[in-house]
Amino acid sequence: MRGIGRPERHIWHGSAADHYGLGLIALHWLTLALIATAFALGLWLADMPLSPLKLKLYAWHKWIGLLVLALLPLRLWLRVRDRLDRLQELEPWEARLSALVHGLIYLLMVLVPLLGWLHSSAAGFSVVWFGVLPLPDLVDKQPELAKVLKAMHESAVYFLAGIVVIHALAALYHHHIQRDQVLRRMIPWLRAP
Amino acid sequence: MMRVFMSRSFIMLWLLALAPLAVAAPRDWQVDYPRSQIRFVIQQMNVPVEGGVKRFSATARFDPVKPETGVFRVELDMASVDTGSPDGDGEAQRPLWFDVGRHPRAVFVSRAVKKQPDGRYMASGDLTIKGRTRAVNVPFTLVRHSGESWLAEGRLPVSRADFGIGGGDWNDVVADRAEARFRIWLKP
Repeated sequence: MRGIGRPERHIWHGSAADHYGLGLIALHWLTLALIATAFALGLWLADMPLSPLKLKLYAWHKWIGLLVLALLPLRLWLRVRDRLDRLQELEPWEARLSALVHGLIYLLMVLVPLLGWLHSSAAGFSVVWFGVLPLPDLVDKQPELAKVLKAMHESAVYFLAGIVVIHALAALYHHHIQRDQVLRRMIPWLRAP
Repeated sequence: MMRVFMSRSFIMLWLLALAPLAVAAPRDWQVDYPRSQIRFVIQQMNVPVEGGVKRFSATARFDPVKPETGVFRVELDMASVDTGSPDGDGEAQRPLWFDVGRHPRAVFVSRAVKKQPDGRYMASGDLTIKGRTRAVNVPFTLVRHSGESWLAEGRLPVSRADFGIGGGDWNDVVADRAEARFRIWLKP
């Protein structure tokens, strides 16, 4: 059994130590849902003519994206606390690749919303989070800068999407081909392959 | 006939005719257009979005000592409405909003100007947007800056519904209450 002999610190919040804490698991899948929703909204909005619906969706796109950013510190904290990396399961190149992919995902989860926020500021639209909390403008209104930031926001999100696909494929590879525990750490109710 | 009486040349003639009486009459101030601004702020899902009118003309006949003799007239070229984004600029021209094709101008004409106890002025008059005229009170300050430059500055809340600006589903995302803000630099 893999669980035997694991360090004491992995047994927290009643979570069986073969998987991440439920808080982290919930945040992981919530973040995926938020990113997927914001991404789909962004794609839909790109070619939509101006309408009241567009403004509503635009607002939700921003609110959801910034929610991803806002949840990140909590997620990082839980991740550090719930550290379950079993790098010994992995080949050294796999461990390095895994670290790179995870690092990039975290970096892009900061960059994409931040670039979106910067773009919104530069385009002259402040963000009032969920219609309630006015957020500061990160830069003054500058239409030329807004164009650049929009392009950067879009490039970054496509990069994020690509990396997320790699991340998901790696998880499926572990589950179906390596037949190890890796995917079940994030989906504890999944049956063993 | 009305057009003739309203025309600028007619008003000029009228002013000329009255000129000899105007010894103590208010002066015509010159507007420094490049420095002057007429802006507006709408609330879009609680987000203040600033726009403006790029072209306008204003006449100000005013004597700070005798404010009650003042007359202000401001005419906005609605084709120059700037909503802060290219999409919005196109939308603003449409019949639902300013219907610029049929109503190319918005006009404010003062009927009475008063100095208030707090030192500010109040210009009461008629505001016409999209062919609808409403009585409004425009509070403003007039402050002398360097040299002969004076700044007339004020804000006026405007209900879009009063003038039939926008409507329908747009009312879900754009608040009825907007605010016009002006900074007009004047030289006596």
